[in-house]
Amino acid sequence: MQPSIIEMIYSQRQEIIDRWKEEIQHFSDNEFSRSLPSEMYNETNVEFVHLIIDTLELEQSEAKEKLRQFVERFIHTGWPLSFFTQGMQAFRRVLLETMTSQETINSKKVFETFYEVESWIDGIINQLVDEYSGSWENTLHLQKLALKELSAPLIPVFEKISVMPLIGTIDTERAKLIMENLLEGIIEHRSQVVLIDITGVPVVDTMVAHHIIQASEAVRLVGAECILVGIRPEIAQTIVNLGIDLGKFPTRSTLRKGIETGLELTQRKIVKISSDEFR
Amino acid sequence: MRIPILKLHDYLLISVQVELDDQTALQFQEDLLNKIHQEGSSGVVIDLTSVEMIDSFIAKVLGDVVEMSNLMGAKVVLTGIQPAVAITLIDMGIMLDEVPTALDLEQGLDKLQQELEG
Repeated sequence: MQPSIIEMIYSQRQEIIDRWKEEIQHFSDNEFSRSLPSEMYNETNVEFVHLIIDTLELEQSEAKEKLRQFVERFIHTGWPLSFFTQGMQAFRRVLLETMTSQETINSKKVFETFYEVESWIDGIINQLVDEYSGSWENTLHLQKLALKELSAPLIPVFEKISVMPLIGTIDTERAKLIMENLLEGIIEHRSQVVLIDITGVPVVDTMVAHHIIQASEAVRLVGAECILVGIRPEIAQTIVNLGIDLGKFPTRSTLRKGIETGLELTQRKIVKISSDEFR
Repeated sequence: MRIPILKLHDYLLISVQVELDDQTALQFQEDLLNKIHQEGSSGVVIDLTSVEMIDSFIAKVLGDVVEMSNLMGAKVVLTGIQPAVAITLIDMGIMLDEVPTALDLEQGLDKLQQELEG
């Protein structure tokens, strides 16, 4: 940036900062800022505006690093991104107003000056947005991992019978995981019957049904049988209303009934023993 | 490359231990049908535990073999289909609907017994 502009900004530093503070009062009245003590809010504002001006004379990489550290601190405490972007926009307005109101700039140079200021400010905004979105993506990634771990366990309950309880919505990625775990588990536990329990699946639409049908076809191919259990009345209604054909494999309303059917299929049953025998 | 076909009483046992190519599969189809004819077998178990990949052509041949054997009065059970193979088949939309399957050779034989008795 041209030295003359930098010099000018420095010479009017206090004025710019004051005007900026005034400017941001307009949008400071939101839910988040009200939840903070006003001193802390003001302190942050001051720190932020000084940092912006400091980036002028720092090396680019150094400025970036400083900004990164600054922003990281606020990401963790949950400051909204809009606070920073609005702050930057206000800063640009104030800066350009101040510069044009003084007659320090040669009018021919106005465009050039604007351009330099814009690219300076935009650079900072871009970095802010990048930092925030990077942190969001990171969180999302961690959550996905956690979800994956919880997503599709296969539990052997009896010899030759396993249960896979499903909870939460099923998307394509999860369906793939379910299918893999199901098939690997069948081989590992030598299951002949697997019960897929959809009690905890809130919505069964055509796509979810399609995934379940595919999984049960694959289960049949590896040589086991699949029973769909935990079909709630509203799920039964949706399935029929959507015209999904689940006729090809057995379904039961509850896990208990499913287990009974599973035992039947493997030529066993649960019997009550009389109290005499028990002694 | 020919796939060995073993006779066990009334049954024929086949363990496929090579990657199936088109030629091998067709050769196998012919051999099996001849063997069924020759031995008058009533049941066949085809074990696919060592097969890591099945393409659509092989899948079709397997389906055909099952149907042809049924025509000749021999029930066929496929056993030991690997998870990865099953997923590929389902993804390709090949359901092998009419083919009975079992987890391994032992359960396959049980299944044949049941089917022949039932």
